[in-house]
Amino acid sequence: MTSSAEPVEDKLVALASIAAELHSVMGVVWNVSLAGKNAKVISAQAGDKGRGFRPITESIDEISQQAIRGVDEISSEALRLSKISVHEQRSIDAYQRFNSVVKKDADAKYIKTISPAVKKVEDKMRTSMSEFKKSMNHLTLLLETMDQCMLSARAVASVSRIVTSSGQEYRDKLTVVSNDLDKAASYIKQRLSNSYRHLNNVNALRQKGI
Amino acid sequence: MKATKIFDKGHQWIMFGRDPEKPENIIDTNQYMIVAGDRALLMDPGGIEVFAPMLGAILHHVKVDEITDIFASHQDPDIISSLGLWDQALPHAKLHSPWLWEGFLRHFGMNNIQYAAIPDEGSELTLGELDIRFIPAHYLHSSGNFHVYDPKAKILMSGDVGAALEACEAPLYVEDFDEHIPKMEMFHKRWMPSNRAKNDWVNRVRDLDIEYMAPQHGRIFKGENVKRFLDWFEALEVGVAIP
Repeated sequence: MTSSAEPVEDKLVALASIAAELHSVMGVVWNVSLAGKNAKVISAQAGDKGRGFRPITESIDEISQQAIRGVDEISSEALRLSKISVHEQRSIDAYQRFNSVVKKDADAKYIKTISPAVKKVEDKMRTSMSEFKKSMNHLTLLLETMDQCMLSARAVASVSRIVTSSGQEYRDKLTVVSNDLDKAASYIKQRLSNSYRHLNNVNALRQKGI
Repeated sequence: MKATKIFDKGHQWIMFGRDPEKPENIIDTNQYMIVAGDRALLMDPGGIEVFAPMLGAILHHVKVDEITDIFASHQDPDIISSLGLWDQALPHAKLHSPWLWEGFLRHFGMNNIQYAAIPDEGSELTLGELDIRFIPAHYLHSSGNFHVYDPKAKILMSGDVGAALEACEAPLYVEDFDEHIPKMEMFHKRWMPSNRAKNDWVNRVRDLDIEYMAPQHGRIFKGENVKRFLDWFEALEVGVAIP
């Protein structure tokens, strides 16, 4: 049992790393949101001349709100998965220890009296394994959705550069906002990609049965 | 895990320990169980690493649901870090332990077992027709600490008092007291923090009729060696082994 201690720690570290990646993203997402608000203000200040920018600035704001909600959801799910993982590990450990009694002390006079407890421990282990799987799938889905959201953000940033090139007066201000959005989306995409990597590590360890 | 009956007259005391399969880097521990009628009290059941060999050894003597009570003298990991596993094996059992440690012990995982807090002045437990006493041993070494006294068998389970750190192959009983002193001297000087608490305990225990003093590490003291130990311990300056 001691031999499995190190890889299991890796699994827990991988899950904690996802939470850490997302923690670093939250500040950036708030900046995107601020950029979205700025874009709306700039568009409003432009009056009739800014009419052409409005769909773009609305999109920036919408994406930023979606990103905030998304990161929040992913953080919660990552934390939940981390807790489930500890629970799962404890139940697997308990099952292995109970099972070793059943195997090593098969000749004990009262060995059968432990069967109901072993069954409960086994059921508990299976339940927590199933919960872990469900939470992993949910987290994967949330990461994919967030990744799509960041792709949209980068597309909106590109479009806004084209649109702003035709509006001379507010061109500089909106270019700054577009660049900020693009940089933030690219940064978040990188963090999401790291999170995927950590999640794949967890999957790989589980497939090896650890 | 070796199991040895140290008393068997109407009820039984069984000592578990001297496990040849114990991982090398963990301290050797003695676990005890009283079996009285269809009830059993498991005392200082040990750490996570000894859970499986302990449970296996116990099942040679009693049915799992006959273990109705557990006693933890204090909160140390070698005493009770297996609690989360016993909690699953014995969901209907009661854990008797110092009131002081309840919130701490629950960190080991306790969802089913009921915590029966022992007040500072100690308490009693009836197992079938046997009455046993939880004797205060505070600051020996833990700030909330008890020993178990069985007046019928005249056995005092003395936790860390009388402990000696030695190999698993060590004999079960102290044979030559003077020869045994070096094996326990440093332990008591370092682990026991208070002369006042020590002397208070010695006075309390001198009033008990003890034939066996059974510590959680090392060898059991029998007959005259119990009195020799109390004299030696009373004279020992503790809380002084600071490097």
